[in-house]
Amino acid sequence: MILVIAAVALLAFSALQSTRAALTYVSQDYTASLAVSEIGVTLQENGNDISSRNYSNNDWHETTGTLLTNMIAPGDKFLPGKAYDEKISVLNSGKIDEYVRVTITKSWTRDGEKVTTLSPDYIELGMAGNGWLLDQKASTNERLVYYYPSVLAAGAATGDLTKDITINNAIASKYTETTTSDGTYTTITTTYQYDGVQFNVDAEVDAVQTHNAQEAIKSAWGVDVNVDSNGTISLQ
Amino acid sequence: MRKFFKKKAVWLTAAAILVIGCVSVGPAMAYFTTYTSAAGSQVISLGAQTKIEEPKVENWTKHIDIKNTGTNDCYVRVKAFCGDQFTIDYTDESGNWETRNNDGYWYYKPVVAPNGTTSELLAKINVPENLKSSFNVVVVQECTGVLYDTNGQPYADWTQVIDTTTGISEGGSGN
Repeated sequence: MILVIAAVALLAFSALQSTRAALTYVSQDYTASLAVSEIGVTLQENGNDISSRNYSNNDWHETTGTLLTNMIAPGDKFLPGKAYDEKISVLNSGKIDEYVRVTITKSWTRDGEKVTTLSPDYIELGMAGNGWLLDQKASTNERLVYYYPSVLAAGAATGDLTKDITINNAIASKYTETTTSDGTYTTITTTYQYDGVQFNVDAEVDAVQTHNAQEAIKSAWGVDVNVDSNGTISLQ
Repeated sequence: MRKFFKKKAVWLTAAAILVIGCVSVGPAMAYFTTYTSAAGSQVISLGAQTKIEEPKVENWTKHIDIKNTGTNDCYVRVKAFCGDQFTIDYTDESGNWETRNNDGYWYYKPVVAPNGTTSELLAKINVPENLKSSFNVVVVQECTGVLYDTNGQPYADWTQVIDTTTGISEGGSGN
């Protein structure tokens, strides 16, 4: 009987103890905002912004423009042999540092179709130097790939890649002759084969982050580079 | 022990654990990249065409005017041919015509714009007294398109050989 009473008493006490409330503690709300890296790049021609693509406010903002406008006065013709100013450069319009490269493609078309008998070598782009590296393995006479070896800081622009563009005079040396006679006069007409052709220049800029440069460039561009202690890249 | 591994349930459980493990791998991460591009073009206009304006003949003198009937600027030169018994005296009052290298051609110094005409060149035929019958004088006029050097200064290349072949030529330089 005593044992039963003792057991009941013990049980009652243990139940009492379990009604104590657990200590709770709630901390203040913390807000942590994470700024995703805002990368951006702009293609410039003769100091003017032409096309850009920047990431800001959680969205991509793009502008597109055209090259080779304002080269000649209205009513004037484009003159073969003359060197026209054509300075292509790149501006870092984002908030993080980046590496950039430019791919230039040249071609001849007539009425929208490519003219395969005319060499793109006749579209001569004068290079400005400024340290741009030409990727010989990826370049052909139609397509040139240039890498800017240094880190391009946010807000900074590269030196000019090109300085001028000239169409080689040799394009005027290809012609066909037809002879007509109207009794009094004989007219020999020389028709230039490439009268009315159009030359096209296309520039594409790629930019990639500077952190983990070697892997980032390999992943984004598929190119192997060496990065030295200053951040200068060189092609392998 | 062997029987343990032969049980289907064991393998199914192992597979389930593996799948759950893979699902818990973190999301893929990409490097920050961006790109942009622009393109441009210009049309090339070539060609030269000229015509002799009705040459007037008076007093054995042919008045030669050449008109540019094409759409581009050009340079012109002129030569008159006649029989051996005759000689031709050229007169130019404007000072725009000149001879070069004694090749018999008279070159018009300025560039002739489309629809423009040269100033007159007079070609006087000297006929011996005893031969004032009919004869022919042939005037040949040639034109060549204006070529430009890197500074945009025009010049004429009269030695441009007619090349009627088509094909890709490895001329010019890229860099």
